[in-house]
Amino acid sequence: MLTLWFGISAGAVFALIAIGFNIVYIASGKLNFAQPEFLVLGMFVSYMVTSSLDWPVLASIPIALVIGAAIGVLEERIAIRPLRARAHGELVTTLGWSVVMAGTFMLIWGPEPLTVTGFGSDRMIDFAGGRTSINSIVIVVLAIVAAVGLHYWTRSTISGLANLATAEDAEAAQLRGINVRGLTIMAFASAGGLLGALGPIVGPKTYAIATLGALLVMPAFVSMAIGGYGSFIGVLLGALVVGVAQSFSGRYLGAQYANLSLFVILMAVLLLRPQGLFGMRAERTV
Amino acid sequence: MTTISRLAVALERKPLWLIPLALGLLLMFAPYLGMDPSWTRQFMLIAIFTLVVSGVNLSFGYAGELSLGQVAIYAASAYTAGILSIHGHGLVVEMAAAVAVAAVLGFASGIPGARLAGWGLAMSSFFLVIMVPDVVALLGEWTGGYSGLAGIMPATVFGRMLEPNEFYMVVIATMLVWVAIVRNLVTSRHGKALQVLRQSPVLASSLGINVYRTKMTAYVLGAIPAGLAGALFAHVDLYLAPESFTFQLAIAFIAASVLGGSESVYGAFIGAFLLQVGPMQTAGFAEYALVAYGAFLIIGGVLLPGGAAGLARSIWARIRSYDPGPTDTQTSGVSVQPPAANASLDIDPIVGKSLRVSGLVRTFGGVRALDDVTITAEPGRVTGLIGGNGSGKTTMLNIVSGFYRPTSGAIELDGRPLGRTSPHKVARLGVARTFQTPLIPRNLTTLEVLSTARYARHYSSLLSAVLRLPGYRRQARKDRERGMTVLRVLGITHLADVQADSLPLGSRRVVEMARALVAEPAVLLLDEPASGLDGEEVEGLARVVRSIAELGTTVILVEHNFELICRVSDQVHVLEFGKLIASGTPEHIQDDPAVQRSYLGEDLEAAQETSSDEEPALELVEAGTAPNAWDAEKGPANA
Repeated sequence: MLTLWFGISAGAVFALIAIGFNIVYIASGKLNFAQPEFLVLGMFVSYMVTSSLDWPVLASIPIALVIGAAIGVLEERIAIRPLRARAHGELVTTLGWSVVMAGTFMLIWGPEPLTVTGFGSDRMIDFAGGRTSINSIVIVVLAIVAAVGLHYWTRSTISGLANLATAEDAEAAQLRGINVRGLTIMAFASAGGLLGALGPIVGPKTYAIATLGALLVMPAFVSMAIGGYGSFIGVLLGALVVGVAQSFSGRYLGAQYANLSLFVILMAVLLLRPQGLFGMRAERTV
Repeated sequence: MTTISRLAVALERKPLWLIPLALGLLLMFAPYLGMDPSWTRQFMLIAIFTLVVSGVNLSFGYAGELSLGQVAIYAASAYTAGILSIHGHGLVVEMAAAVAVAAVLGFASGIPGARLAGWGLAMSSFFLVIMVPDVVALLGEWTGGYSGLAGIMPATVFGRMLEPNEFYMVVIATMLVWVAIVRNLVTSRHGKALQVLRQSPVLASSLGINVYRTKMTAYVLGAIPAGLAGALFAHVDLYLAPESFTFQLAIAFIAASVLGGSESVYGAFIGAFLLQVGPMQTAGFAEYALVAYGAFLIIGGVLLPGGAAGLARSIWARIRSYDPGPTDTQTSGVSVQPPAANASLDIDPIVGKSLRVSGLVRTFGGVRALDDVTITAEPGRVTGLIGGNGSGKTTMLNIVSGFYRPTSGAIELDGRPLGRTSPHKVARLGVARTFQTPLIPRNLTTLEVLSTARYARHYSSLLSAVLRLPGYRRQARKDRERGMTVLRVLGITHLADVQADSLPLGSRRVVEMARALVAEPAVLLLDEPASGLDGEEVEGLARVVRSIAELGTTVILVEHNFELICRVSDQVHVLEFGKLIASGTPEHIQDDPAVQRSYLGEDLEAAQETSSDEEPALELVEAGTAPNAWDAEKGPANA
């Protein structure tokens, strides 16, 4: 039971990053390899705010949100916009962006894990047959709220539908008066801001480590591949599957099998249902 | 042409590959020419990295999919060679085993990449890199786990242990041989086919190239040098540990590939050289290395899609075509000479196949893009298909060429059912096509573009291309001969050695037509060949279309231009909102009341303006059917 809960709470972190992937993907059709780095950024910001500036931990959330959003906009401007329509150019440039971010963390804060102050909620409580921190429960609730909220937002508001239209066919959307560039900027800003703001909340659980982004990108991507590109609910379920699979294989087979089991899942999904469980298959265009 | 450009073109004909070969041999014998011994290790690592980066170039630069897995393949091969060495095997056995392991891994990690464009391969191969330490630990019994694999013997060849300088020469020689192989490969028709594949899988399959198989071939080929590199690396320090094969190294290889130019042969060496001698060398720079690699990737990806090699190439292209006055290719390139009266003597008659489409229905969501359409096209005849935007013309072509499945109805080619056949197979059955926006790959001359159309049907093996066997040379000569014949028939021989993608629209259309003709198509599908052409060009086009039909080909002409359709077609079919509203001879069609109502009854310009407003729902369908740039490009001129 405890293993299951560990899996779910790890899965919630993957889900939050995968939601960030999804926001950008829906608005621009691109995948932002650097997305997890924004969560890590938020953790370091929180560390800085509490330890260096000695401000209350709650203040770090709005600060991390603003910095995350600003860097998201910067990334769009430098690494995405100049590519224009070049197919999959973002594979290289967002990878480069993530490496620059991780390298910068390393330069500023060094390679050692730093403790991120919690919200006084590291208190352990009895839950689901085991002991867990309130913080973990908060993260799981946040992931569910974000996924369900965004799901309804995309399907019921004009701007949400405009986003969906853009993911489907950016040029057609543009011809119909949708401001595709504006949407793309907004998406990078909101995904960057969202994950930045979540950094101070997730940080106490994981510690702030410069190399954390590279570890998180894979499970988050697998979550998205399982759930389906563009589906928020699918991504949430995919992330839970990934978290639970990792946690059980790590517990019963050995630590070295945690990644291996994920790889097997990814391959199975890519080969059997490449559009994911909840994604739609795009018609081939000539 | 000026003196400079003539000089440049003349220089290109010389065997320029001798220069890198000479430099390579010089490098190989450098230890005996007084090179500082500290550089020996440096250049060995550069050569090893060149091998890996050249593999990255094949899968990323040529097949067009980013694979981060080279490092994992490199690691697996290094361990394979190391373990074999400990068990007393020689370098030849180690290299063979390492290449085999590499090829298997390249194949396995390529499966999702070939099935799923874009992120599939990038992520699954990235995953392989992450798993290196785990797998090394799991196989700790053989690999030494986290503490590393010690006890590797110096390289031996046929029982004789190599001196350090001899091993150095083996490493450099391996690199030279591999670079020569890559050079022969990418300059051959296989290389051109990969370039087509990278730029447009749609075009590749319409030329009969099996996209899946060709991509897999590129992945396996890209894995082989990583295998060689791993086997050699095991003997550089005689020790292997998981820390040598990190995610950071994977990033460094991609950065080197991008810096040197992913679509290049010698760029791999430049990139590897910069990687080894640049950031890694200066101690103070080490902590900035990660940021620097990342910046390289961004700058390289944004500014220099061709890397250093691409930069050199574009400067060269400018010198080559340097001319202060108006160039003849720009002004007269468009003009299509009337085919000479004896044109059909130059080119062998073609055996056309009859195409029969019956009861064809295709729906997109709730929209019936094609609704119960029945059309027959006979060999030696031009069958015209006309209709407004969203009437289903292009959908029809896409179904015939295998890109869409029909919702219901049948398609038969000389009695053989198509319908479920994949595009490259349809192409191999003799169906060639052109596109609304000409699809001409970058960086290829007109003759090279034409040779890509013969690639699938007149296949010559990879091996014969790499070794330049007589079979390959014969095929290359025939490619050129056939290409020149077709260019002569179309009156555009002066375009033979010109970069085809930089030609004006009219010429690109004719080049597409030439490419289709080189394949000796039994059926030729022309998708709005006249759009964007001026009156004189349309004249030329009409003559070309007629003479292609006279060779025996079954021609299907899709057009907006009513006048052109009536002039060249033997049979005309009129589509409206996916339904066939009239069929018959051009005279019959011109008199048809339904056609007159839609086409001739109103002032043409008014009809064009309203037509785009009338059918928004259907237009959306077309937007999904065709790249939208086409709609914008077409403009009102040919509604």
